[in-house]
Amino acid sequence: MKTLPLAALLLATTAPAFAEQAALDLVAPIAEYKLYVTENTETLVDETRAFTEAVKAGDVEKAKALFAPTRLSYERIEPVAELFADLDAPIDARADDYEQAEADPEFTGFHRLEYALWVEGKTDHVTAIADKLQSDVEELAKRIDGLTFPPAVVVGGASVLMDEVAATKISGEEDRYSRTDLWDFHGNFDGAYKIVELFGPHVEDKDFLASVEGNFAKANETLAKYREGEGFVSYEKLTDEDRRRLSALVNTLAEDLATLRGRLGLG
Amino acid sequence: MSEMNESRRALIKGLGLGLATCPFALGAARAEAPAQASAVTAAPQAGATSSSDRISPFGAHQPGIATPRPAWGMVASFDAIVDTPADLERLLRRLTERIRFLTSGGAVPQVDPKLPPLDSGILGPVLRPDGLTVTLGLGSSLFERHAWLAAHRPAQLVRMTSFPNDALDADLCHGDIALQFCANTQDTIIHALRDVLKNLPDQLVLRWKQEGNVPVIPPQPPGVMESARNFLGFRDGSGNPDAADEALMARVLWVETPDWTAEGSYMAVRIIRNFVERWDRTPLTEQERIFGRTKITGAPLDQPAGSEADVPDYAADPEGEKVALDSHIRLANPRDEAGERHLMLRRPFNYSNGVTRSGQLDQGLLFIAWQASLEDGFLAAQTRLNGEPLEEYIKPVGGGYFFAPPGFSDAADDYLGRQLIDAIGRTPRKT
Ligand code: HEM
Ligand SMILES: [Cu+2]
Repeated sequence: MKTLPLAALLLATTAPAFAEQAALDLVAPIAEYKLYVTENTETLVDETRAFTEAVKAGDVEKAKALFAPTRLSYERIEPVAELFADLDAPIDARADDYEQAEADPEFTGFHRLEYALWVEGKTDHVTAIADKLQSDVEELAKRIDGLTFPPAVVVGGASVLMDEVAATKISGEEDRYSRTDLWDFHGNFDGAYKIVELFGPHVEDKDFLASVEGNFAKANETLAKYREGEGFVSYEKLTDEDRRRLSALVNTLAEDLATLRGRLGLG
Repeated sequence: MSEMNESRRALIKGLGLGLATCPFALGAARAEAPAQASAVTAAPQAGATSSSDRISPFGAHQPGIATPRPAWGMVASFDAIVDTPADLERLLRRLTERIRFLTSGGAVPQVDPKLPPLDSGILGPVLRPDGLTVTLGLGSSLFERHAWLAAHRPAQLVRMTSFPNDALDADLCHGDIALQFCANTQDTIIHALRDVLKNLPDQLVLRWKQEGNVPVIPPQPPGVMESARNFLGFRDGSGNPDAADEALMARVLWVETPDWTAEGSYMAVRIIRNFVERWDRTPLTEQERIFGRTKITGAPLDQPAGSEADVPDYAADPEGEKVALDSHIRLANPRDEAGERHLMLRRPFNYSNGVTRSGQLDQGLLFIAWQASLEDGFLAAQTRLNGEPLEEYIKPVGGGYFFAPPGFSDAADDYLGRQLIDAIGRTPRKT
């Protein structure tokens, strides 16, 4: 679990700048990544439909069971989804993004429904929000379909995902009503790892890769302790010790993966 | 003006001399002292410091304890990710490397612009030491977590427990490791914290931090010093022992045990909120009675026309008619035999955080006290202070106790905490 040795980075200044034509080699992994994102958005659209229908049918228990798994595909592709801020906010924003928190009429999307399900315990007043969520994810799928994936954004997405976890998820802020945060962590790790898996072979420094892979493995090991059925136990079960460890792993991955773009010659 | 006490006189006579040297020190703690030396808690004087001030990180003791307190300070507390002695050694070595770099200054290494810069850049491309000190403290939780460390826990290092007036917030307490950053400017301590976070993300997880400052006063005539004021408007530090008196410091500050902790020091950190609105509505006589000193000069109330350097004569005031028996200074240091034993060096900073839910200022004192014995120092004083009238105006909300290991030398392979690692026995003992 080493961070990038300073010396290795310093070498980078003296060695010729990272290969300029590297970007050419990235065509194939970018295409593959696009495929990954498309698969996930398709799943997202389908699963969101099932979820929002349960909400609208007033089937609170079913909707609760579908909430976390549905979010998984969104969390995997979050860096791409975030390119469309006008959709990311209504789909995934949290109450504290709004001045009046839960009472704010602008507060919609997954977390508004989460609030209805776990805190308000009813759904009849949020059917319009459920419809809006469904149409927002469909719109997202359409836009992603037409998107030319910018390589720097794709590769940079790995550290963005880790930053997200470090900045607002490790604290258990994301799914505060349902306590399904560990599902989201898992989605974020999956999404970041996919990027490393696809682009890693184009990175020259194999020690760097080994260290990154090692940290992903450790994070998985830690999360695995909290698996239950198809998913994870409540965030509250996460011990302080494991939260500390995950924090350190996530911060280290965020620092290391922040160099991925540069290592692939992407500005 | 009345007579100055012996230690203050000695201090002023000692102007320009290096502070806090000791038999093992590699040199004066302050390699390039500013124009005039100062008592540890004297108010920093405008124009007397410069961004090129350099306080050597090397010596028998860590700097940031007996070295003069600059205008800015911060305590940051971390959880340490450490499983084996080798992990701990790696953490300490890497931390030392950062401290060596940050306190000496110089050009920041540049990397390929396609990469994130190695440095936050907030101080520009060339770092200036700016009087920076980084002082390491180890918390009891670190020693408790691992069997291989338990036997090496400093004898008096315990977990902070709540005193009667405390309202401790768990998110502001304890930690495996504390770093105290002090420098002339706030940017320098923030830069240093960010550097450490960026370079050791795999081993240090930030728990809490509190920064503060002390007011810089206009330049004073040579030899004139006054203690800096806290947020209650009183001079704070007048009663401090004289840090230029090495023999005294050996007794007050430095642990003298035959184990790895020798020449280290115990650190008590308390984040103490001040109810400043309430305080500002309190009559001056009441304020002064609570502390036992005058507000303007800091003179003890038994010599109100004197100076802050005057020593109160409690024997002549047994009923507390002048300096109330329950005044802060009389309880904190009764200046009897017990008081002599119960010395500590206070090196606090004022903090100002924002506004509370009730619309009051969230201000207070980042209280930092150093001592050779936590029991005889902070714990004894706080126990005597329990129930003091000042409590109506203060509320301790956080902090922790830490042990600052002895210092390290400029030898290339030396590092902070080596004595502990040697004691654990992982690495062969150096001679
Ligand atoms: C917000 C909290 C506090 C404030 C505002 C405060 C303020 C002061 C002031 C104004 C003085 C007089 C000047 C001086 O001698 O330095 C003083 C002295 C002193 N304080 Fe505090 N203090 C606080 C907390 C504490 C705590 C927690 C302790 C220790 C447990 C402590 C120990 C002392 C000692 C030992 C002295 C010197 C007494 C002497 O030698 O005459 N103080 N403090
Ligand atoms: Cu999210």
